[in-house]
Amino acid sequence: MMRVFNMDKFRQKMLDVFYLTGEFTHLFVATMKCSFSRPFYFGRLMEQIKILGVGSISITIVIGLTMGLVMTLNFGYGLKKFGGTMYVPAVVSLSLAREMAPLFTSLIVAGRIGSGMAAEMGAMNVTQQVDAIRALGTSPLRVLVVPRFWASVISLPLLTALSCALGIFGGFIVCLNEFGMPGGFYLYKVTSTVQLHDYMSGLVKSAIFGGMIAIIASYRSFRTRDGTRGVGDTTTWVVVTSSISILVVNFFVSKIFLVLWTK
Amino acid sequence: MNEVVLELKQIRKSFGDNHIHRGVNLRLHKGESVGLLGGSGTGKSVLLRSVVGLEYIDDGEILFKGHRIDQLNENQMVPIRTQLSYSFQSGALFDSLSVFDNIAYPLFEHTKLTLPQIKEKVSDVLKLIDLEGKEHLMPSDLSGGMQKRVGMARAMIMNPEIILYDEPTAGLDPANTLNVVSIMKKLKDRGHASIFVTHDIPSALSLCDRIFILKDGVIAFNGTTKEFKESDLPLVKNFLTH
Repeated sequence: MMRVFNMDKFRQKMLDVFYLTGEFTHLFVATMKCSFSRPFYFGRLMEQIKILGVGSISITIVIGLTMGLVMTLNFGYGLKKFGGTMYVPAVVSLSLAREMAPLFTSLIVAGRIGSGMAAEMGAMNVTQQVDAIRALGTSPLRVLVVPRFWASVISLPLLTALSCALGIFGGFIVCLNEFGMPGGFYLYKVTSTVQLHDYMSGLVKSAIFGGMIAIIASYRSFRTRDGTRGVGDTTTWVVVTSSISILVVNFFVSKIFLVLWTK
Repeated sequence: MNEVVLELKQIRKSFGDNHIHRGVNLRLHKGESVGLLGGSGTGKSVLLRSVVGLEYIDDGEILFKGHRIDQLNENQMVPIRTQLSYSFQSGALFDSLSVFDNIAYPLFEHTKLTLPQIKEKVSDVLKLIDLEGKEHLMPSDLSGGMQKRVGMARAMIMNPEIILYDEPTAGLDPANTLNVVSIMKKLKDRGHASIFVTHDIPSALSLCDRIFILKDGVIAFNGTTKEFKESDLPLVKNFLTH
């Protein structure tokens, strides 16, 4: 049977998206307020940087290196047909710095840390540990959300930088071995093509994505109900929502940076 | 025992169309223990959660030492929650923290005590709940009864004026029940007032000064333990015979 487009359902979905955006903004504002007023939990922040950041290094190494290798192979053979192999270092490094490293690292790390945060805080919510934090005169926002938010905002740009560097290194290996390009030429093209603002846009983007992952995970975790099944639902929802949000926001942030550069 | 430390006036609370409380009135005096009885789903736990600010009430007033607390925000509730503590039915221990860190949590958060002083306080409390030497264990290493006792220790470590017990003996064997009730008696002797939500009538009778029965959203019985035992009301008889 053919499905008919339902305007009411579409309108409701759009309202849900606006409502969620408002809720995320509200949580973000509350998190920022708590971030700059006492008490501070530096110990918890360092712990979260270790869990979210240091714990994601191995997966970032794999992403960065394979991304560089595969992109260089594809661009290399594609451009070779037109005699444009010499442009490979520039194309690969520019796309890695601006788009691929922040986007892919954030998407993969969103799966890892988003699911981890959602499972941990969701389980705490259904076992009344979040209520216990409140009942003991402390704030779940300060104790749980703020350290995770800043740990993500700090860690993700560093992971992106690592991913980008390894991607460029991967390109270097392929260009050297597959296309017989001199190493010095590759490095010269990379350094002369990619400007500081290209690297910065990637790093700023990943910081934004890091904050988004933490806010989305925290928002849904505090609404987790129905025991272990609820925790599973929360985890899935967080990974899907943060991945979609990263892709959508990436477009708008890229657009803003492009407008700023062209000026 | 005349000073009223907690007063609930005409508390109303609904979840959608489900009217849990339709005007609950309750007074708790300094150092007094009251038992709050009622069938399942009558809103006993919701009432305790409302008192400590984990649920917002729809109408009515909650007064702690004469000051209204039902309209306070989370930040304003912080000093109240150090004086009005809540012992969760499940214990609600932080599963990533050891027994020591769980019990010491409020001290680290709200006091400037040094680590040796905190260790001494935690050690005293562990003696009281008969769990000496278990401070290094994780919650997953403890039995259900032990978890409840650690939860009670965490609730009383700040020496609060009032402790709210949410079914502390539920699901425990007779030996563990006696153990938990004996800890509650010790705390009562130290001067903590308490509200004891339970289905366990013998424990309530052995511990409490007064008994309240919550039925159909209101307090349907309010009397001393003696009055409760001697009452001819069918509602009370129903509790005593089951």
